[in-house]
Amino acid sequence: MFDVLPDRLPWWIGGPILGLLIVGMFVVSNQPLGASGAYVQTAGLLRRRSGVAVWRVWYFVGMFLGGLIVTQVLRSGAEFRSGYDALREVLPLWAAVPVVFGGATLLGYGAALAGGCTSGHGMCGTAQRSPASVAVTVTFMATAIATTFVLRLLTGGAL
Amino acid sequence: MKMNAIGLLFGIAFGGVLAASNLHEYDTIHFMLRLDEFDVFWFMGSAIAVSLPLLWLLERRGVATPLGGELVLSRSRPERHHLRGGALFGVGWAIAGTCPAPALVMVSSGALLGLVAIPGIFLGLRLHERRQSGPHVGDGEHRPMTGARV
Repeated sequence: MFDVLPDRLPWWIGGPILGLLIVGMFVVSNQPLGASGAYVQTAGLLRRRSGVAVWRVWYFVGMFLGGLIVTQVLRSGAEFRSGYDALREVLPLWAAVPVVFGGATLLGYGAALAGGCTSGHGMCGTAQRSPASVAVTVTFMATAIATTFVLRLLTGGAL
Repeated sequence: MKMNAIGLLFGIAFGGVLAASNLHEYDTIHFMLRLDEFDVFWFMGSAIAVSLPLLWLLERRGVATPLGGELVLSRSRPERHHLRGGALFGVGWAIAGTCPAPALVMVSSGALLGLVAIPGIFLGLRLHERRQSGPHVGDGEHRPMTGARV
C-alpha cells in the first residue's frame, strides 16, 4: 500500500533485529520463539485438547499478520500468485502441488521428531548454546543442501 | 492474558522480519540451499551472533523475567531422534522450500501454494504424534510456564 520498505531488507539489518526479538522474548517470558511448537499448540486448540498454550496460537496468528503488514501494507502490495517461481519453471501446477505437500509433510514429521525447526533449533536453540540444537541444525543444513543438489541433478540443472 | 498479547506482538514482529527479508519466497530458500546466495546464512548467523552472547550474559546474571520466572536456558544432549528428525526436516525443507514460520508469511504475501504447504506441515506433525504419545519438545520450543503469571 505505502511502498516504504525496500524489496529486500539487507541481512545485516534483518538478522540482528531477529536476534534482538529472540532475546526480548526470553527477557519478557523466559520462552523461546519456536514456530513448529506454535503449530502443535494451534492443532491442539483446533482439536480442543486440554492444556493448550493459547499464547502460542496468538503467536501463530501474529506471524501471519506480520507477513500481511509487511507485504500488503508497508510494501506496494502483492497480488495472488502461486509462488514458487523457480519450481514452477520446471513443474506445472498440478505436479507442484503434491511435491510441495509431500515436502511439507516430511519437514513437519522431521520437526516433530527432532523437537523443532529452523526457528526452534536453528535460531533459538543454537542461541542457547544447546548441543542438541546445534546437532539438529548442522544435520538439516547438510541434508537440505544435499537434497537441493540431487534435485538439480534430477532436473538436469534446471532447478 | 498478558502472555497472549506478548505472543501476538512477537509473532507480528517475527513474521514481519521474515517477510521483509523475503524468507517466505521459495526462490530465496532454494538459491540459498543451491549455495548461490549466502544472505540467509548471514541472516541466521548474525541473529545468533547477537542473541547468543546477550542470552549468555543475561543467564549469568540470573535475570528475573516479568512473566516467566528466572531466565533459564536449556541445553540438551543430542540423541538419535534429533539427528533422524533433523535429517528428514532438511530433505522436506529443500523440497518444499519453506519451513513452519515462512509458510505462514507465504500465504499472507499472496502465494497460494503456501495453502498447500501449511496443511502438509500439520499432517507431518500429526503423523509423528500418532506414532508416539506426543512430539518431542526441543530446546527452542514451548516449555511449561513455571512460576508464570499467564
